[in-house]
Amino acid sequence: MTLSLKDAEAILYREAECLDESRWDDWLDLYAEDACFWIPAWKNETETTTDPDTELSLIYYKGRNNLADRVWRVRSGQSVASTPRIRAVHLITNVRLVRADEASAQVASNFAVNLFDKRSGRTHTFFGHYRHALRREGERWLIAGKTIVLLNDTIPTVLDFYCL
Amino acid sequence: MFTGRLSDLIDDRPDEGIFRVSRAIFDDPGVFDLEMRRIFESGWVFLGIADQARDPHDFFTTDIGRVPVLVSRDGSGALGAFVNSCPHRGSRVAQTLAGNARLHVCPYHSWSFDSAGRNKSVKLKRAGCYAESFDAQSHDLPALPAFGEYRGFLFGSLDADVPPLETHLGEAAKLLDLVADQGPDGFELVPGAVTFTFQANWKLQLENCSDAYHFTSTHPSYIRILEQRQTANTGVAVKSVWESSDYWREDAQGVAGGSFSFPHGHVLNWGIFGVTEALPLFEQAEALAERHGAAKRDWMFNMRNLSIFPNLQIAENASSQLRVIRPLAPDLTEMRTWCIAPKGESAQARRQRIRQYEDFFNPSGMATPDDTVSYENCQRGFASRVEPWLQGYSRGTTASKAGGNPFSDLIDMKPARSVLADAQLGDETLFQSYYREWARRMAGVIGQ
Repeated sequence: MTLSLKDAEAILYREAECLDESRWDDWLDLYAEDACFWIPAWKNETETTTDPDTELSLIYYKGRNNLADRVWRVRSGQSVASTPRIRAVHLITNVRLVRADEASAQVASNFAVNLFDKRSGRTHTFFGHYRHALRREGERWLIAGKTIVLLNDTIPTVLDFYCL
Repeated sequence: MFTGRLSDLIDDRPDEGIFRVSRAIFDDPGVFDLEMRRIFESGWVFLGIADQARDPHDFFTTDIGRVPVLVSRDGSGALGAFVNSCPHRGSRVAQTLAGNARLHVCPYHSWSFDSAGRNKSVKLKRAGCYAESFDAQSHDLPALPAFGEYRGFLFGSLDADVPPLETHLGEAAKLLDLVADQGPDGFELVPGAVTFTFQANWKLQLENCSDAYHFTSTHPSYIRILEQRQTANTGVAVKSVWESSDYWREDAQGVAGGSFSFPHGHVLNWGIFGVTEALPLFEQAEALAERHGAAKRDWMFNMRNLSIFPNLQIAENASSQLRVIRPLAPDLTEMRTWCIAPKGESAQARRQRIRQYEDFFNPSGMATPDDTVSYENCQRGFASRVEPWLQGYSRGTTASKAGGNPFSDLIDMKPARSVLADAQLGDETLFQSYYREWARRMAGVIGQ
């Protein structure tokens, strides 16, 4: 069956819930093993980088195992930036089904992630666009790719994977 | 207004083996204002690299202290640097980070300037009923009182009373050579700049780059993840320079690296990596040895964290980063960062360099946030004056020697002081070089 807009929204909201609630294993479980997770950097005021092999990204990972590394770091107690974690709430809107068939789908959306770091007292909102590539594996739809275009890319001290 | 004395901020008694810095140097607003005036706005400051304005009429914008600056290449190919502020009413003229423009038109009243900063028009000049004396004034963009290039690295000063750039850089210029000479056609910034801030004093960044002591305690999560990637052997892990190095192994024996200090506040902290395929430069190993000799080639493969006082750092460790430090307030600093790389390296080497960079250097990576959060912890602690003197400038005191050593001799470099270190030393005497230059520049506005 082709992915519906409602199905797409449910996947995006579930991902947001996992990140906000530190349910890291559930979050990883949403991703395909070969998933690509990409936050391009900006070349100038108006253009992001487009080729991760020749241009810089904020994060570029091919393979869920890299995301698992980041989860390990957050849990490890060996990173002062990661403990205590920054509180986050993801707001996802304007969800559009760009393309969908029985095997795959492209979903576009907008996000605002509100953050509060109790330790420093810093409040911040990151905002931008998501593009999710979804793929059907058996009965489940998995995230095969996620591209995050961060519009306000002057980063106050810390940007961890769960902050976007 | 800072009303204290230099001796309240820096306690420098070499004969007694004492060097201490007061917490006040990091959080006193009066000290910060004086730093802006005396260090950032009246001395050599790094602006950018020549390759950022590669072709005629290319330009980029930056800042010296609080002052906006335009660096532009004119039609003949000559680089110039100007205060990016219209002589008319002061508006910033160039609006973008970079671009190409034969003519810069002020967006406020349309005064225009060519790529050499010369005024080309004053809008509706004839109808303006100006006095004759108006024509006697220059309407050009003011050129920086001092501007210089060393091998593609551009520096400027808002005060003409500075030593020649070659004198300012001194022997530390040979460490810039190690960057410039890696590619036959020079070096470039990989497209994509990353800007971040931290709520702490700019000198914490200056120190951290040179701080070998913090690596294993601040970055264990990064070190463990690299170890796990090695053993997981998934075939997709990016090679890591730390795999082949004993630099961070606290049980390692023998010389692992050390530090060099130079006049004018420049310092290097370095470690031996060896000519390893974990570095993207490996594909050039033979060519570099032929071109520059094996000794200089080996130095290019050493881990090197270079600070050119006060605002340029080039860190070549996990990957290669160029950083520009911009103080915004006593407790707020902006960092503009790029991946710096030799031109013409293979696609595979470039990819490897970029992946290593993102993991380590980005504020979204697995190491830098642990540094910057630590700076913020320090800044909080600096509020105390119960015991104002900090004890973090003392490791290596009895190891620090005047002059160079056999490692600096390899590239015919003559530092003011040097330390040879095993993996456990974590020299801190190199920070003293920052503060001696700091004190020299502040003398005159702060009493002894």
